[in-house]
Amino acid sequence: MEEFNKQLDDLKRNFTNPFTNPFTVPDEYFDTFPTKIQERILSGKREKNAFSRFITFAKPQLALGLMIAGFAFIAITIVEHTISNQTTLPVATGIHTRIVEVDASEFSEQHFIDVLLDDNKKPVQEKKKNAEHYINYLVDEDIDYGTLIDEL
Amino acid sequence: MSEYSDNELLTLFRDSENRNYAFNLIVRKYQQKLYWHIRKIVIKHDDADDILQNTFIKVWKGLDGFREDSKLYTWLYRIATNESLTFLKQQKTKYLLPLVDYENQLKETLVSDQNFNGDEIQLKLQKAILGLPEKQRIVFNMKYFEEMKYEEMAEILSTSVGALKASYHHAVKKIEKYFNED
Repeated sequence: MEEFNKQLDDLKRNFTNPFTNPFTVPDEYFDTFPTKIQERILSGKREKNAFSRFITFAKPQLALGLMIAGFAFIAITIVEHTISNQTTLPVATGIHTRIVEVDASEFSEQHFIDVLLDDNKKPVQEKKKNAEHYINYLVDEDIDYGTLIDEL
Repeated sequence: MSEYSDNELLTLFRDSENRNYAFNLIVRKYQQKLYWHIRKIVIKHDDADDILQNTFIKVWKGLDGFREDSKLYTWLYRIATNESLTFLKQQKTKYLLPLVDYENQLKETLVSDQNFNGDEIQLKLQKAILGLPEKQRIVFNMKYFEEMKYEEMAEILSTSVGALKASYHHAVKKIEKYFNED
């Protein structure tokens, strides 16, 4: 390896001597390179300046746009909040809807008993305590369902 | 231009009135060293030219934040080396080739390159160097051609001196083997 290192050293003399460097560059490359770099930097600055000018020009419009978007967002949030509050009012809308939309005469006595005893029906759940009493009353008095609906 | 030291150039650069002038001096002072460093990694002149330009653009953008923890010279070399390595990686992914194949392409480029006028033995040496792994190639070039100190190389490549010495030793052995086989 020592011998090879010496051989490499001999070779190196050729590389370090500018006249025998095997790599070359186009004529005047190093003379023109600094100018090329300056031009690239200036063109970058110009692009940056153009962007800054655009921002300066568009600033009021952007501010106005953001303001409108902000108001719209607040308005939508308020409306949504109001609507969601309305839907959670403690009114037994389920029962009312059912009575208005459905002809009660289509249902049997057993169906009414099932509905009144159903634990999953929230509005009915509150009246669960009295449910059995009502059922017994209806059966004992032999009241027809049309009368019951009219009373409700 | 070369009468200015790196510190003087940096001081000049920080003065907004002399900023462009100082940068121009930095480019003139280091362009050749960095060019040859890059050229020996990427071989083709056009690629070396692109990488050198990108290196100096990065220097221009980053010089304000240069805190002088290292020398300007080593900082410039580090940027140039990283740019060259990134370029090699991009080439590898661009053509979906393993790096070995890309380096084989470079060997062929050397033969037909108008900007390479080496004789047979110089061509053989360059081909042997191109056969080395990427990092070993950089270490060999820096030590052999640029005669850089191991300590400086360690700072540029963020490696230990011992690892660099081992890399150089392996590189020389591989080149010797290449010469003996052919």
